Amino acid sequence: MIYYCCEKDWESVLTCIYEAWTQKRGQANIQLIFEPVVQYTLFDEYIHVKADTALAEKVVDAVNRKLSPQFYYEIAHVGMYEAPDVADVLFRVLLLGFAYGPYVLEMVQYKDIMRFREMRCSIGNEISHFREFTRFHEVNHRYVAIIEPRSRIIPALAEVFLDRMPSESWMIADLTNRMAVVHPKDGFYQFVDLTAEEMERLMEIEKNNDRMEVLWKIFFETTAIQERKNERCQKNLYPIWTRKHAVEFMEMRTEKQTCCENENVL
Amino acid sequence: MFCIFEKRLEKANKCSYNKNNKSRTNIRMVIEMGQSVPAVTLEKSIEEKLKILSDAAKYDVACTSSGSDRRGQKGMLGNSVAAGVCHAFAADGRCISLLKILMSNHCVYDCKYCINRKSNDIARATFTPQEICELTVEFYRRNYIEGLFLSSGVLNNPNETMEKMCQTLRLLRTVYHFNGYIHVKAIPGASAELLYSAGLLADRISLNMELPTQASLGKLCPNKHMNQIIRPMNCISETIAVNRIAHGKTARLDRAGINRHLENSIFGETSRRIEANAAQSLQTMRFQYPAERMDALLHRDFAPAGQSTQMIIGATEETDFELIRTSQQLYQSFDLKRVFYSGYIPINDDTALPEIGTPVPLLREHRLYQADWLMRFYGFHANELLSEEQPFFDRHIDPKCEWALRHLGDFPVEINRASYDQLLRVPGIGPTGVKKIMSARRYGSVNFDMLKKMHIALKRAQYFITCNGKMLYPIPISQNFIRNQLTDLDRVEIAKIEGNTVTYQQMNLFRDFHMEGQA
Ligand code: SF4
Repeated sequence: MIYYCCEKDWESVLTCIYEAWTQKRGQANIQLIFEPVVQYTLFDEYIHVKADTALAEKVVDAVNRKLSPQFYYEIAHVGMYEAPDVADVLFRVLLLGFAYGPYVLEMVQYKDIMRFREMRCSIGNEISHFREFTRFHEVNHRYVAIIEPRSRIIPALAEVFLDRMPSESWMIADLTNRMAVVHPKDGFYQFVDLTAEEMERLMEIEKNNDRMEVLWKIFFETTAIQERKNERCQKNLYPIWTRKHAVEFMEMRTEKQTCCENENVL
Repeated sequence: MFCIFEKRLEKANKCSYNKNNKSRTNIRMVIEMGQSVPAVTLEKSIEEKLKILSDAAKYDVACTSSGSDRRGQKGMLGNSVAAGVCHAFAADGRCISLLKILMSNHCVYDCKYCINRKSNDIARATFTPQEICELTVEFYRRNYIEGLFLSSGVLNNPNETMEKMCQTLRLLRTVYHFNGYIHVKAIPGASAELLYSAGLLADRISLNMELPTQASLGKLCPNKHMNQIIRPMNCISETIAVNRIAHGKTARLDRAGINRHLENSIFGETSRRIEANAAQSLQTMRFQYPAERMDALLHRDFAPAGQSTQMIIGATEETDFELIRTSQQLYQSFDLKRVFYSGYIPINDDTALPEIGTPVPLLREHRLYQADWLMRFYGFHANELLSEEQPFFDRHIDPKCEWALRHLGDFPVEINRASYDQLLRVPGIGPTGVKKIMSARRYGSVNFDMLKKMHIALKRAQYFITCNGKMLYPIPISQNFIRNQLTDLDRVEIAKIEGNTVTYQQMNLFRDFHMEGQA
């Protein structure tokens, strides 16, 4: 078996797919895996693939031209998903795609397509969770959110919030993957990697709650009807792991009372 | 870093984090200006008001932000997503999508079931338009909500109340540049012109029917008459239709795509009335264009997310059959987007009402929603689900299973050959499942393993389907056997709805197998 190993970011995955495709070593003999490789075996070959923007773009172009932009949209989503077999499944789905055309995604008779659709469904759910439960804090008229998702969903969230708040300055920091997206008012967003120090400073923001956060907590609590209380249902729809940075479940700590006064936090 | 969706990196501006935010300064100026206008109740803090007015609004069930699809725009705040977005789930498990508040809980009416009725001695408050706008945009920016749900008690008279609500929405749309979702309640008795203004400013407009017959309305709402509800409802539905035609759309609202494949759905042959009325209204020009229309800032559709209503369950004697028949009529005649059902919560001590402490009819409400779904997405009619002889839904089993058990002769259906209609009527298969099956069928035959992966609820469906001529397990197609199996599945569901823990009954040999005599 020949193992093509790469990092988890999208550029590396696409480069890895490109290498695996062009080297033509026979698809039954190869597998795409993520680094770090936990255990090397003696008789297998391991090829490390380094991210290469030019090669990755070749794959993007090929998919867009030969299949469809919609197809690219789908694989880009699965590319964000956190699972060990993502690169391998994407490689095989692309092989099937180039053989049968863009409608291959409906051929659930192939087990790779089935797995692909499962992953697409999971990542879709995770994105909608965070589209719903991401909470911004106001700092100096800028809005900063901290999230801890399982997958690398920041690019999808950036698109969502670009449409929602095009004329605000906002930033979403993903602590799991140590990256952030920064959107200037009326501009286009940018991705940045976060340093440990930056992450610590960001965490500080949640330690002080402004007036709107207090008001939101009041609203959140009063709008529930006590006679209909059903925590199980709430847990089901609002999973505990997504609540970590949700203002409504935090203890309110208000050092300063109004939202306009806490301008010196950052 | 590599941009995953488009290669727009070159275009990306450098982060301009330190620029001044002009629009916010403008807003603050407006607020300061607005605050010089004398407000109705200045003495209460905004925290207190929010507590009172969200508490008073919580009994309204409609909290969806769906039905309107609008992209964001530079210079504006917000967008709207057709499917709606829930932003949190409250302790009662209900979704919080909109900032649901009353403008005021002062009310000159005295509806018996309502917490805000005139005769109740409760804390009262009224928001100023600026306070509502500020709360909405600040909550929206923090991603707490998808928009505003604005209702109100009747302040002095319906027109005055509606006017104040329109004023608030106008401020929100034009000065605060809010482009998100707005759901506004129409006050029964308000003038057509004000309703028109409200519809232009909001995405959805709704009028609560509360009780389906004049008799119960007369009993519980001495100040309201059915005509005060039906007439504006009709007026709104015609205006929506006319407005849609003027924008080159069909007179009727777009319904879930699946309805296109169903011959006998409730939205099928009945569309004539809406279209005929719309054509008539266009000719007679009955609709006045109020000030909003002249406003260059507001080239908006009239209530693009349609109209909805709500009915209270369990406060009066109506049967489930009467309720769903009324809903069907509302969908067909007024093209309502949604009918909501709200299990009555006894809050007022009144002889005409269930006494305080009566449990909320949660399960009944759930069954009605299921039936409502069956009418809107599955092509069922009210009289297929219930009848005069059987006017209530079964407590133990859902309406679709109940229907299937009464029609066992139509089953099992073959997954690889059945039509849309047939597949949709199989318990455990929904519109999404049907679409998946249909698309997979084009490329080869479908088996149980694939159904499982498609998330088809085989626990229910297995009794009613075959794949390539075979059932999942050899099961006797007998009504009693299947009913028992399905009842068992529903027990867990019912416990979830009623918020209890499931108490699995300890199997008792003597009781369950009728062996008392032999022991
Ligand atoms: S008019 Fe509305 S707020 Fe007033 S008492 Fe009746 S239901 Fe309550």
